[in-house]
Amino acid sequence: MSIIEVPIGPQHPALKEPLNFTFEVEGERVVGVKFRLGYNHRGIEKLAETKNYIQNTLLSARVCGICTYAHTTCYTTTVEKLMGVDIPERAQYIRVVMAELERIHSHLLWLGVMMHEIGFDTLFMYYWRDREQILDLFEIITGSRVQHAMNTVGGVRRDITQEEMKIVMKSMDRLEKRMKYYKNVTLRERTIRIRSEDVGILKPEDAIALCAVGPTLRASKIKSDVRFDDPYVAYDRVSFEVCTGDGYDVFSRILVRIDEVFESIRIIRQALEGMPSGAIRIKVPMRAEGEVVGRVEAPRGELMYYIRGDGTSKPYRVKIRTPTLANIPALCKMLEGCYIADIPAIIASIDPCIACMDRITILRNDKIEVWNWNELRRYGIKWYGKH
Amino acid sequence: MKIEKIIKEFMEKGEITDFELRGDKRIFVRIKPEKLKSVIEKLVSSGFRHLITITGVDVGNEIELLYHLSMGGRIVSVRTLVPKDKPIIATITDIIPGAILYEREVHDLIGVIFEGCNNLSRLVLSEDWPDNIYPLRRH
Repeated sequence: MSIIEVPIGPQHPALKEPLNFTFEVEGERVVGVKFRLGYNHRGIEKLAETKNYIQNTLLSARVCGICTYAHTTCYTTTVEKLMGVDIPERAQYIRVVMAELERIHSHLLWLGVMMHEIGFDTLFMYYWRDREQILDLFEIITGSRVQHAMNTVGGVRRDITQEEMKIVMKSMDRLEKRMKYYKNVTLRERTIRIRSEDVGILKPEDAIALCAVGPTLRASKIKSDVRFDDPYVAYDRVSFEVCTGDGYDVFSRILVRIDEVFESIRIIRQALEGMPSGAIRIKVPMRAEGEVVGRVEAPRGELMYYIRGDGTSKPYRVKIRTPTLANIPALCKMLEGCYIADIPAIIASIDPCIACMDRITILRNDKIEVWNWNELRRYGIKWYGKH
Repeated sequence: MKIEKIIKEFMEKGEITDFELRGDKRIFVRIKPEKLKSVIEKLVSSGFRHLITITGVDVGNEIELLYHLSMGGRIVSVRTLVPKDKPIIATITDIIPGAILYEREVHDLIGVIFEGCNNLSRLVLSEDWPDNIYPLRRH
């Protein structure tokens, strides 16, 4: 077998990843869905085999920009287990705070995008304005708005000071008020309900059979959350609800994510109040042997890392399974039989890469028309204006 | 059914050759490739219905496959080996439809053929990627 020099490995289906769907439509109805992944295939799993355990922290942070903290948390907790080390308690609490801040920013980003897809751009702007304050918190705590470089094997690299905690607490109060307003708008606003209720149905039995994860699964009334079922870092020391929805539709997915923001605020408050003092990182061995299956609840759902070490300073195998990939079969199920006009809302409802779907092929009357995402979005809004 | 009881039954019937409990949340079982379907079927009917993913690892002359199934907080990783010169194993998409992308991914990147899978077309590699070269193989 020849040696491969080109760094090609498994793709990563996160935001901005190009993904191609082919819809087979009959009139306004979608009758078949095909898709193609891999346009943003960067070979991260292969690359990880060539770097040591510390260097790979930086690599895992770059799998995704939106949920970078979920990736480094999953990577570092898995490697720490592989090395057999326990990180200081304070570091575990800091990881909880950071992970929940990230969930809030990711959910607000998604809620904004979702509103944009159904043509409600005012709410999109509102959501993104409120998301800004989370990015500001990241900047205050870590010095960076997107790539925090906060996690390392053995703990975290920066502490959260008393002053910073006060700022975070204040911000959470402000955000809670805003979220109450958003929930009210979502429940009462007809535009949102018309575009999302009974759209993109995923029945519980299908969600299980197709191995869906995260808010997509929970909106189909399945109570499953890694933070609750398989607690990591300090999640077993905070109390929170696993939010579920019973509409099985896009509307349910919106409500589940709004409710999850409230729970994240609750978790952050508890973690800040109960944060023990002490060290934030420890020294770890540079080598590891064995294998560990680790997982965390990323904003989009269950994220899994499988890491195998052979006693050297570099992992023998790093396997990453991201939540978007797990939700693609469920997405195809949701799209079956839907209207063309509902495609943007349904695809957005699993919180995948939006820019990913950069081209859509419409097969109508044997003629092939190629639409880009914007054209499809505009078509959806116009179609609903008429019907 | 408790996983300990399932494993005991498996051992008695000779379905699995070895198992390892790591803590109370992670279980690794080793099986012969021909037993895959019956073991997965039994696990799914016992509640391990969520397939997290399928991991393929190049271990020299063989390819190791790990099927990670979970129920609540517990993960059972079913481990089996297929020879590299004849990497064929039965599909489990008829038991777990959600396995389709994971089988296609392993097929693409490490070259395992899942017998009975109705779609093993390219998933992540580009169309012009040469045949019979698998990026995650080591030797």
